[in-house]
Amino acid sequence: MVGSGLRIFNAYPAFARKGEMFCCYPFEHKAIPAWLTFGGWLGGARHWHFAMMWVLVVNGLVYLTFIYLHGEWRDLVPRKGDIRDSWQMVKFYTFKRKDHPHQGKHNALQKTTYFLLPVFGALAVVTGIAIWKPVQLAPLTAVFGGYVWARYWHFIAMLAIVILSVVHVFMVFAVDPYSITSMITGNYDPSLSPEARNARPFYHLFPRRATATPSPPPETT
Amino acid sequence: MNSDPRKFVSINGLDRRDFLIQGSGLVSAALLAACDSRGPKSADKLLKYAERKNLAVERKLFRHTSMDVVQGGAHDAGNKLPSYFIAPTVPVWDESARGTWALEVSGLVGNPVRLTLQDLQKLPQVSNRVNHYCVEGWTAVETWTGVPFTDLARLARVDPQAQFVDFQSFDDDYHESWDIESAMHKQTVVAYGLDGKMLEPAHGAPARVYSPIKLGYKNTKYLTKIVFMPRMNGGYWSDQGYEWYGGT
Repeated sequence: MVGSGLRIFNAYPAFARKGEMFCCYPFEHKAIPAWLTFGGWLGGARHWHFAMMWVLVVNGLVYLTFIYLHGEWRDLVPRKGDIRDSWQMVKFYTFKRKDHPHQGKHNALQKTTYFLLPVFGALAVVTGIAIWKPVQLAPLTAVFGGYVWARYWHFIAMLAIVILSVVHVFMVFAVDPYSITSMITGNYDPSLSPEARNARPFYHLFPRRATATPSPPPETT
Repeated sequence: MNSDPRKFVSINGLDRRDFLIQGSGLVSAALLAACDSRGPKSADKLLKYAERKNLAVERKLFRHTSMDVVQGGAHDAGNKLPSYFIAPTVPVWDESARGTWALEVSGLVGNPVRLTLQDLQKLPQVSNRVNHYCVEGWTAVETWTGVPFTDLARLARVDPQAQFVDFQSFDDDYHESWDIESAMHKQTVVAYGLDGKMLEPAHGAPARVYSPIKLGYKNTKYLTKIVFMPRMNGGYWSDQGYEWYGGT
Protein backbone atom coordinates (compact mmCIF):
# COMPACT_ATOMS: atom_id res chain seq x y z
CA MET A 1 0.00 0.00 0.00
CA VAL A 2 2.75 2.45 0.96
CA GLY A 3 4.93 1.71 -2.06
CA SER A 4 2.12 1.91 -4.59
CA GLY A 5 0.79 5.02 -2.86
CA LEU A 6 4.16 6.70 -3.16
CA ARG A 7 4.30 5.76 -6.84
CA ILE A 8 0.88 7.37 -7.34
CA PHE A 9 2.06 10.40 -5.35
CA ASN A 10 5.09 10.72 -7.64
CA ALA A 11 2.82 11.43 -10.61
CA TYR A 12 2.18 14.77 -8.86
CA PRO A 13 4.46 14.95 -5.80
CA ALA A 14 2.78 18.07 -4.46
CA PHE A 15 -0.48 19.06 -2.83
CA ALA A 16 -1.20 22.51 -4.30
CA ARG A 17 -4.26 22.99 -6.45
CA LYS A 18 -3.20 24.32 -9.88
CA GLY A 19 -2.76 28.09 -9.60
CA GLU A 20 -2.32 27.96 -5.81
CA MET A 21 0.39 27.36 -3.24
CA PHE A 22 0.30 24.79 -0.47
CA CYS A 23 1.29 25.85 3.02
CA CYS A 24 2.20 22.70 4.77
CA TYR A 25 4.48 20.41 2.83
CA PRO A 26 8.16 21.36 2.54
CA PHE A 27 8.94 19.07 -0.40
CA GLU A 28 6.41 20.27 -2.98
CA HIS A 29 7.30 18.95 -6.45
CA LYS A 30 10.15 16.78 -5.17
CA ALA A 31 9.63 13.17 -6.18
CA ILE A 32 9.95 10.30 -3.71
CA PRO A 33 13.00 8.11 -4.55
CA ALA A 34 11.93 5.41 -6.99
CA TRP A 35 13.34 2.60 -4.84
CA LEU A 36 10.71 3.36 -2.21
CA THR A 37 7.90 2.99 -4.73
CA PHE A 38 6.03 0.00 -6.05
CA GLY A 39 3.92 -0.63 -9.12
CA GLY A 40 6.31 0.56 -11.84
CA TRP A 41 4.03 3.21 -13.32
CA LEU A 42 1.04 5.29 -12.32
CA GLY A 43 -1.62 2.96 -13.75
CA GLY A 44 0.03 -0.16 -12.34
CA ALA A 45 0.44 1.40 -8.91
CA ARG A 46 -3.21 2.47 -8.94
CA HIS A 47 -4.31 -1.11 -9.70
CA TRP A 48 -2.21 -2.44 -6.81
CA HIS A 49 -3.47 0.29 -4.50
CA PHE A 50 -7.15 -0.24 -5.36
CA ALA A 51 -6.83 -4.03 -5.08
CA MET A 52 -4.85 -4.13 -1.84
CA MET A 53 -7.05 -1.54 -0.15
CA TRP A 54 -9.63 -4.29 0.38
CA VAL A 55 -7.00 -6.48 2.03
CA LEU A 56 -6.10 -3.60 4.34
CA VAL A 57 -9.74 -2.99 5.23
CA VAL A 58 -10.47 -6.68 5.89
CA ASN A 59 -7.25 -6.99 7.89
CA GLY A 60 -8.23 -3.99 9.99
CA LEU A 61 -11.71 -5.35 10.61
CA VAL A 62 -10.37 -8.76 11.64
CA TYR A 63 -7.95 -7.04 14.03
CA LEU A 64 -10.68 -4.92 15.59
CA THR A 65 -13.03 -7.92 15.90
CA PHE A 66 -10.41 -10.05 17.64
CA ILE A 67 -9.22 -7.34 19.96
CA TYR A 68 -12.84 -6.69 20.89
CA LEU A 69 -13.77 -10.36 21.39
CA HIS A 70 -10.64 -11.08 23.44
CA GLY A 71 -11.15 -7.98 25.53
CA GLU A 72 -7.58 -6.93 24.76
CA TRP A 73 -8.77 -3.50 23.69
CA ARG A 74 -8.87 -2.74 27.42
CA ASP A 75 -5.06 -2.92 27.50
CA LEU A 76 -4.85 -0.22 24.85
CA VAL A 77 -7.40 2.35 26.00
CA PRO A 78 -5.53 5.56 26.75
CA ARG A 79 -5.61 6.68 30.37
CA LYS A 80 -4.70 9.88 32.10
CA GLY A 81 -0.96 10.08 32.59
CA ASP A 82 -0.07 7.91 29.57
CA ILE A 83 1.60 10.80 27.79
CA ARG A 84 3.64 11.64 30.90
CA ASP A 85 4.60 7.99 31.40
CA SER A 86 5.46 7.61 27.70
CA TRP A 87 7.83 10.53 28.07
CA GLN A 88 9.46 8.73 31.01
CA MET A 89 10.05 5.74 28.71
CA VAL A 90 11.67 8.01 26.13
CA LYS A 91 13.90 9.41 28.89
CA PHE A 92 14.84 5.88 29.93
CA TYR A 93 15.72 4.86 26.38
CA THR A 94 17.82 7.99 25.92
CA PHE A 95 19.75 7.39 29.18
CA LYS A 96 18.16 10.41 30.88
CA ARG A 97 16.53 8.13 33.42
CA LYS A 98 18.22 5.22 35.18
CA ASP A 99 15.50 2.78 36.14
CA HIS A 100 12.92 1.28 33.83
CA PRO A 101 9.44 2.79 34.43
CA HIS A 102 6.55 0.45 35.19
CA GLN A 103 6.29 -2.15 32.42
CA GLY A 104 3.09 -4.15 32.86
CA LYS A 105 1.82 -5.93 29.76
CA HIS A 106 2.70 -2.85 27.70
CA ASN A 107 4.54 0.14 29.01
CA ALA A 108 2.94 3.54 28.44
CA LEU A 109 4.93 4.25 25.29
CA GLN A 110 3.96 0.89 23.78
CA LYS A 111 0.35 1.41 24.77
CA THR A 112 0.21 4.82 23.13
CA THR A 113 1.78 3.42 19.97
CA TYR A 114 -0.55 0.43 19.77
CA PHE A 115 -3.52 2.69 20.30
CA LEU A 116 -2.43 5.21 17.67
CA LEU A 117 -1.57 2.64 14.97
CA PRO A 118 -5.17 1.49 14.33
CA VAL A 119 -6.34 5.10 14.64
CA PHE A 120 -3.98 6.18 11.87
CA GLY A 121 -4.90 3.04 9.94
CA ALA A 122 -8.56 4.02 10.04
CA LEU A 123 -7.63 7.59 9.08
CA ALA A 124 -5.68 6.28 6.09
CA VAL A 125 -8.66 4.21 4.95
CA VAL A 126 -11.25 6.95 5.39
CA THR A 127 -9.14 9.70 3.79
CA GLY A 128 -8.35 7.23 1.02
CA ILE A 129 -12.05 6.75 0.30
CA ALA A 130 -12.45 10.55 0.41
CA ILE A 131 -9.90 11.10 -2.37
CA TRP A 132 -11.08 8.06 -4.34
CA LYS A 133 -14.65 9.43 -4.60
CA PRO A 134 -14.42 13.21 -4.04
CA VAL A 135 -17.66 13.84 -5.92
CA GLN A 136 -19.82 10.82 -5.15
CA LEU A 137 -18.84 11.01 -1.47
CA ALA A 138 -18.34 14.78 -1.37
CA PRO A 139 -19.61 15.16 2.23
CA LEU A 140 -16.90 12.77 3.43
CA THR A 141 -14.23 14.65 1.47
CA ALA A 142 -15.53 17.90 2.99
CA VAL A 143 -14.99 16.48 6.50
CA PHE A 144 -11.25 16.49 5.79
CA GLY A 145 -11.29 19.98 4.30
CA GLY A 146 -11.83 19.07 0.65
CA TYR A 147 -9.85 17.00 -1.83
CA VAL A 148 -6.50 18.76 -1.46
CA TRP A 149 -6.51 18.46 2.33
CA ALA A 150 -7.94 14.93 2.33
CA ARG A 151 -5.03 13.94 0.10
CA TYR A 152 -2.69 15.61 2.58
CA TRP A 153 -4.18 13.80 5.59
CA HIS A 154 -3.96 10.54 3.62
CA PHE A 155 -0.24 11.21 3.22
CA ILE A 156 0.21 12.16 6.89
CA ALA A 157 -1.64 9.02 8.04
CA MET A 158 0.69 6.92 5.86
CA LEU A 159 3.72 8.71 7.29
CA ALA A 160 2.55 8.13 10.86
CA ILE A 161 1.93 4.42 10.18
CA VAL A 162 5.37 4.03 8.60
CA ILE A 163 7.17 5.82 11.44
CA LEU A 164 5.32 3.93 14.18
CA SER A 165 5.81 0.57 12.43
CA VAL A 166 9.49 1.09 11.74
CA VAL A 167 10.19 2.14 15.33
CA HIS A 168 8.00 -0.72 16.58
CA VAL A 169 9.82 -3.40 14.60
CA PHE A 170 13.18 -1.83 15.41
CA MET A 171 12.36 -2.05 19.12
CA VAL A 172 11.28 -5.68 18.77
CA PHE A 173 14.70 -6.56 17.42
CA ALA A 174 16.56 -4.19 19.72
CA VAL A 175 14.81 -4.91 22.99
CA ASP A 176 12.98 -8.21 22.85
CA PRO A 177 13.62 -10.34 19.75
CA TYR A 178 11.95 -13.26 21.45
CA SER A 179 8.61 -11.51 21.11
CA ILE A 180 8.82 -11.73 17.30
CA THR A 181 7.22 -15.17 17.48
CA SER A 182 4.41 -13.84 19.64
CA MET A 183 3.63 -11.22 16.99
CA ILE A 184 2.49 -14.14 14.86
CA THR A 185 1.28 -16.73 17.34
CA GLY A 186 -0.03 -14.38 20.02
CA ASN A 187 1.59 -16.48 22.75
CA TYR A 188 4.06 -14.89 25.07
CA ASP A 189 5.99 -16.51 27.87
CA PRO A 190 7.61 -13.72 29.87
CA SER A 191 9.91 -16.17 31.60
CA LEU A 192 11.76 -16.65 28.32
CA SER A 193 12.88 -13.03 28.16
CA PRO A 194 12.59 -11.67 31.68
CA GLU A 195 15.39 -9.15 31.69
CA ALA A 196 15.23 -8.09 28.07
CA ARG A 197 11.77 -6.62 28.41
CA ASN A 198 12.98 -4.03 30.85
CA ALA A 199 16.13 -3.13 29.01
CA ARG A 200 17.37 -0.47 26.68
CA PRO A 201 17.81 -1.16 22.95
CA PHE A 202 20.62 -3.60 22.20
CA TYR A 203 21.21 -4.13 25.90
CA HIS A 204 21.95 -7.76 25.12
CA LEU A 205 24.85 -6.72 22.90
CA PHE A 206 26.46 -4.47 25.52
CA PRO A 207 29.22 -5.86 27.76
CA ARG A 208 27.65 -7.56 30.75
CA ARG A 209 27.69 -5.99 34.17
CA ALA A 210 30.00 -7.62 36.70
CA THR A 211 27.12 -9.03 38.72
CA ALA A 212 25.58 -10.69 35.72
CA THR A 213 28.81 -12.35 34.63
CA PRO A 214 30.50 -14.39 37.32
CA SER A 215 34.14 -13.90 36.47
CA PRO A 216 36.48 -16.88 36.79
CA PRO A 217 38.43 -16.98 40.03
CA PRO A 218 41.56 -14.87 39.73
CA GLU A 219 44.71 -16.85 39.22
CA THR A 220 47.04 -16.75 42.12
CA THR A 221 50.59 -15.83 41.60
CA MET B 1 15.98 -23.31 31.22
CA ASN B 2 18.10 -20.18 30.75
CA SER B 3 19.87 -20.13 34.04
CA ASP B 4 23.01 -18.71 32.48
CA PRO B 5 22.22 -15.08 31.70
CA ARG B 6 24.92 -14.93 29.05
CA LYS B 7 23.03 -17.40 26.92
CA PHE B 8 20.83 -15.88 24.27
CA VAL B 9 17.23 -16.95 24.01
CA SER B 10 16.93 -19.51 21.27
CA ILE B 11 14.27 -19.21 18.61
CA ASN B 12 13.87 -22.29 16.44
CA GLY B 13 17.45 -23.25 17.07
CA LEU B 14 18.82 -19.84 16.17
CA ASP B 15 20.26 -17.65 18.81
CA ARG B 16 19.23 -14.04 18.90
CA ARG B 17 22.25 -12.74 17.03
CA ASP B 18 21.83 -15.22 14.15
CA PHE B 19 18.17 -14.46 14.07
CA LEU B 20 18.79 -10.72 13.80
CA ILE B 21 21.35 -11.10 11.04
CA GLN B 22 19.42 -13.66 9.00
CA GLY B 23 16.10 -11.94 9.57
CA SER B 24 17.30 -8.52 8.46
CA GLY B 25 19.02 -10.13 5.47
CA LEU B 26 15.76 -11.77 4.36
CA VAL B 27 13.76 -8.60 4.86
CA SER B 28 16.25 -6.46 2.90
CA ALA B 29 16.35 -8.99 0.08
CA ALA B 30 12.56 -8.99 -0.17
CA LEU B 31 12.45 -5.17 -0.13
CA LEU B 32 15.17 -4.88 -2.76
CA ALA B 33 13.35 -7.32 -5.01
CA ALA B 34 10.16 -5.29 -4.68
CA CYS B 35 11.83 -1.93 -5.34
CA ASP B 36 10.29 0.09 -8.13
CA SER B 37 8.89 -3.10 -9.64
CA ARG B 38 5.54 -3.69 -11.26
CA GLY B 39 4.97 -6.69 -9.07
CA PRO B 40 4.76 -10.30 -10.20
CA LYS B 41 3.21 -10.97 -13.60
CA SER B 42 1.03 -13.64 -12.02
CA ALA B 43 -0.75 -10.91 -10.05
CA ASP B 44 -2.17 -9.34 -13.22
CA LYS B 45 -5.20 -11.62 -13.14
CA LEU B 46 -5.88 -10.71 -9.54
CA LEU B 47 -5.54 -6.99 -10.30
CA LYS B 48 -7.94 -7.32 -13.25
CA TYR B 49 -10.38 -9.11 -10.99
CA ALA B 50 -10.11 -6.33 -8.40
CA GLU B 51 -10.69 -3.70 -11.11
CA ARG B 52 -13.88 -5.50 -12.24
CA LYS B 53 -15.12 -5.66 -8.64
CA ASN B 54 -14.23 -2.02 -8.04
CA LEU B 55 -16.08 -1.07 -11.21
CA ALA B 56 -19.22 -2.71 -9.84
CA VAL B 57 -18.77 -0.93 -6.49
CA GLU B 58 -18.18 2.42 -8.19
CA ARG B 59 -21.23 2.10 -10.42
CA LYS B 60 -23.32 1.22 -7.34
CA LEU B 61 -21.99 4.29 -5.53
CA PHE B 62 -22.89 6.55 -8.45
CA ARG B 63 -25.70 9.04 -7.77
CA HIS B 64 -27.05 11.55 -10.29
CA THR B 65 -27.69 13.85 -7.35
CA SER B 66 -24.04 13.91 -6.20
CA MET B 67 -22.57 17.17 -7.45
CA ASP B 68 -19.08 18.48 -7.54
CA VAL B 69 -18.84 21.67 -5.49
CA VAL B 70 -15.85 23.99 -5.56
CA GLN B 71 -14.56 24.83 -2.11
CA GLY B 72 -15.02 28.38 -0.91
CA GLY B 73 -11.87 30.41 -1.40
CA ALA B 74 -10.45 28.14 -4.10
CA HIS B 75 -8.64 30.02 -6.87
CA ASP B 76 -9.16 29.41 -10.57
CA ALA B 77 -6.26 27.66 -12.25
CA GLY B 78 -6.41 30.10 -15.21
CA ASN B 79 -3.38 29.64 -17.42
CA LYS B 80 -1.93 27.13 -14.92
CA LEU B 81 -4.30 24.50 -16.30
CA PRO B 82 -1.97 21.99 -18.00
CA SER B 83 -2.55 21.20 -21.63
CA TYR B 84 -2.38 17.57 -22.72
CA PHE B 85 -2.79 15.92 -26.10
CA ILE B 86 -1.27 12.82 -27.63
CA ALA B 87 -0.34 14.18 -31.08
CA PRO B 88 3.21 15.57 -31.38
CA THR B 89 1.85 19.11 -31.80
CA VAL B 90 -1.29 20.90 -30.64
CA PRO B 91 -4.13 19.39 -32.70
CA VAL B 92 -5.87 22.07 -34.73
CA TRP B 93 -8.85 21.40 -36.98
CA ASP B 94 -7.72 22.25 -40.52
CA GLU B 95 -10.80 23.76 -42.18
CA SER B 96 -9.22 24.07 -45.62
CA ALA B 97 -8.47 20.36 -45.74
CA ARG B 98 -11.33 18.87 -43.73
CA GLY B 99 -14.15 21.37 -44.18
CA THR B 100 -16.14 22.95 -41.39
CA TRP B 101 -15.82 21.15 -38.06
CA ALA B 102 -18.98 19.41 -36.90
CA LEU B 103 -19.82 17.13 -34.01
CA GLU B 104 -21.51 13.91 -35.04
CA VAL B 105 -23.94 12.32 -32.57
CA SER B 106 -24.69 8.79 -33.75
CA GLY B 107 -24.86 5.12 -32.86
CA LEU B 108 -27.94 3.79 -31.06
CA VAL B 109 -30.02 6.92 -31.67
CA GLY B 110 -33.29 7.62 -33.43
CA ASN B 111 -32.09 10.90 -34.89
CA PRO B 112 -28.38 11.07 -35.75
CA VAL B 113 -27.23 14.70 -35.91
CA ARG B 114 -24.26 16.74 -37.08
CA LEU B 115 -23.77 19.99 -35.20
CA THR B 116 -21.40 22.76 -36.19
CA LEU B 117 -19.96 25.02 -33.52
CA GLN B 118 -22.68 27.60 -34.36
CA ASP B 119 -25.34 24.90 -33.93
CA LEU B 120 -23.92 24.00 -30.53
CA GLN B 121 -23.85 27.62 -29.44
CA LYS B 122 -27.53 28.00 -30.35
CA LEU B 123 -28.50 25.23 -27.94
CA PRO B 124 -29.25 26.08 -24.28
CA GLN B 125 -25.96 26.94 -22.60
CA VAL B 126 -24.66 26.18 -19.12
CA SER B 127 -21.52 27.30 -17.30
CA ASN B 128 -20.14 25.09 -14.53
CA ARG B 129 -17.39 26.23 -12.21
CA VAL B 130 -16.05 22.84 -11.13
CA ASN B 131 -12.98 20.89 -10.13
CA HIS B 132 -10.83 19.04 -12.59
CA TYR B 133 -9.54 15.81 -11.07
CA CYS B 134 -6.45 14.48 -12.76
CA VAL B 135 -5.43 10.82 -12.43
CA GLU B 136 -2.02 12.16 -11.36
CA GLY B 137 -3.50 13.65 -8.20
CA TRP B 138 -3.78 17.36 -8.96
CA THR B 139 -6.95 19.36 -9.20
CA ALA B 140 -7.76 22.62 -10.97
CA VAL B 141 -10.79 24.87 -10.77
CA GLU B 142 -12.14 26.13 -14.09
CA THR B 143 -15.43 27.31 -15.54
CA TRP B 144 -16.62 25.22 -18.47
CA THR B 145 -19.31 26.54 -20.81
CA GLY B 146 -21.26 24.39 -23.21
CA VAL B 147 -24.27 22.20 -23.88
CA PRO B 148 -25.44 19.74 -21.23
CA PHE B 149 -24.87 16.23 -22.51
CA THR B 150 -28.45 15.27 -21.65
CA ASP B 151 -29.73 17.89 -24.13
CA LEU B 152 -27.67 16.34 -26.93
CA ALA B 153 -28.90 12.89 -25.97
CA ARG B 154 -32.49 14.09 -26.09
CA LEU B 155 -31.92 15.81 -29.43
CA ALA B 156 -30.54 12.60 -30.90
CA ARG B 157 -33.32 10.49 -29.33
CA VAL B 158 -31.10 7.90 -27.63
CA ASP B 159 -32.21 4.29 -27.77
CA PRO B 160 -32.76 2.79 -24.29
CA GLN B 161 -30.42 -0.05 -25.29
CA ALA B 162 -27.48 2.35 -25.32
CA GLN B 163 -25.49 1.57 -22.18
CA PHE B 164 -22.21 3.20 -23.12
CA VAL B 165 -21.03 6.32 -24.92
CA ASP B 166 -17.82 6.68 -26.90
CA PHE B 167 -16.25 10.13 -27.15
CA GLN B 168 -13.97 10.27 -30.20
CA SER B 169 -11.51 12.97 -31.22
CA PHE B 170 -9.25 14.21 -34.02
CA ASP B 171 -6.23 14.09 -31.66
CA ASP B 172 -4.82 11.02 -33.44
CA ASP B 173 -6.97 8.05 -32.43
CA TYR B 174 -7.81 9.34 -28.95
CA HIS B 175 -11.18 8.26 -27.61
CA GLU B 176 -12.65 7.19 -24.28
CA SER B 177 -15.91 5.34 -23.69
CA TRP B 178 -18.12 5.99 -20.66
CA ASP B 179 -20.98 4.31 -18.86
CA ILE B 180 -24.20 6.07 -19.82
CA GLU B 181 -25.06 7.12 -16.23
CA SER B 182 -21.91 9.21 -15.97
CA ALA B 183 -22.55 10.79 -19.37
CA MET B 184 -26.12 11.67 -18.34
CA HIS B 185 -24.94 13.32 -15.11
CA LYS B 186 -26.06 16.95 -14.86
CA GLN B 187 -22.50 18.28 -14.74
CA THR B 188 -21.42 16.55 -17.96
CA VAL B 189 -21.23 19.09 -20.78
CA VAL B 190 -19.95 19.31 -24.31
CA ALA B 191 -17.86 22.41 -23.64
CA TYR B 192 -16.78 25.06 -26.15
CA GLY B 193 -15.91 27.74 -23.61
CA LEU B 194 -13.36 27.96 -20.82
CA ASP B 195 -13.27 30.74 -18.24
CA GLY B 196 -15.59 32.98 -20.27
CA LYS B 197 -13.62 32.67 -23.53
CA MET B 198 -13.92 30.32 -26.47
CA LEU B 199 -11.98 27.11 -25.87
CA GLU B 200 -8.41 27.31 -27.16
CA PRO B 201 -6.69 24.57 -29.18
CA ALA B 202 -4.46 23.82 -26.17
CA HIS B 203 -7.51 22.69 -24.19
CA GLY B 204 -9.49 20.86 -26.84
CA ALA B 205 -11.02 23.36 -29.31
CA PRO B 206 -13.49 23.48 -30.93
CA ALA B 207 -15.30 21.34 -28.31
CA ARG B 208 -14.59 18.70 -25.73
CA VAL B 209 -16.53 16.67 -23.22
CA TYR B 210 -16.12 17.91 -19.68
CA SER B 211 -17.32 16.50 -16.39
CA PRO B 212 -15.95 16.67 -12.85
CA ILE B 213 -17.35 13.20 -12.22
CA LYS B 214 -14.66 11.60 -14.39
CA LEU B 215 -10.90 11.83 -14.14
CA GLY B 216 -9.26 14.13 -16.69
CA TYR B 217 -8.23 11.41 -19.12
CA LYS B 218 -11.83 10.29 -19.61
CA ASN B 219 -12.81 13.79 -20.80
CA THR B 220 -12.00 13.57 -24.51
CA LYS B 221 -10.82 16.83 -26.10
CA TYR B 222 -10.99 17.79 -29.81
CA LEU B 223 -14.33 16.00 -30.13
CA THR B 224 -15.53 14.73 -33.47
CA LYS B 225 -18.02 12.01 -32.60
CA ILE B 226 -20.30 10.96 -29.78
CA VAL B 227 -21.35 7.37 -30.41
CA PHE B 228 -23.98 5.60 -28.29
CA MET B 229 -23.17 1.91 -27.91
CA PRO B 230 -24.61 -1.26 -26.40
CA ARG B 231 -21.13 -2.32 -25.22
CA MET B 232 -18.11 -0.55 -23.77
CA ASN B 233 -15.41 0.41 -26.18
CA GLY B 234 -12.28 0.91 -24.08
CA GLY B 235 -10.31 4.06 -24.67
CA TYR B 236 -6.88 5.48 -25.40
CA TRP B 237 -5.63 5.41 -21.82
CA SER B 238 -7.95 2.61 -20.63
CA ASP B 239 -6.45 0.31 -23.26
CA GLN B 240 -2.98 1.15 -21.94
CA GLY B 241 -3.87 -0.04 -18.47
CA TYR B 242 -5.51 2.86 -16.66
CA GLU B 243 -8.88 2.05 -15.10
CA TRP B 244 -11.67 2.16 -17.64
CA TYR B 245 -14.16 3.68 -15.17
CA GLY B 246 -12.01 6.55 -13.91
CA GLY B 247 -14.90 8.03 -11.93
CA THR B 248 -14.69 10.44 -9.05
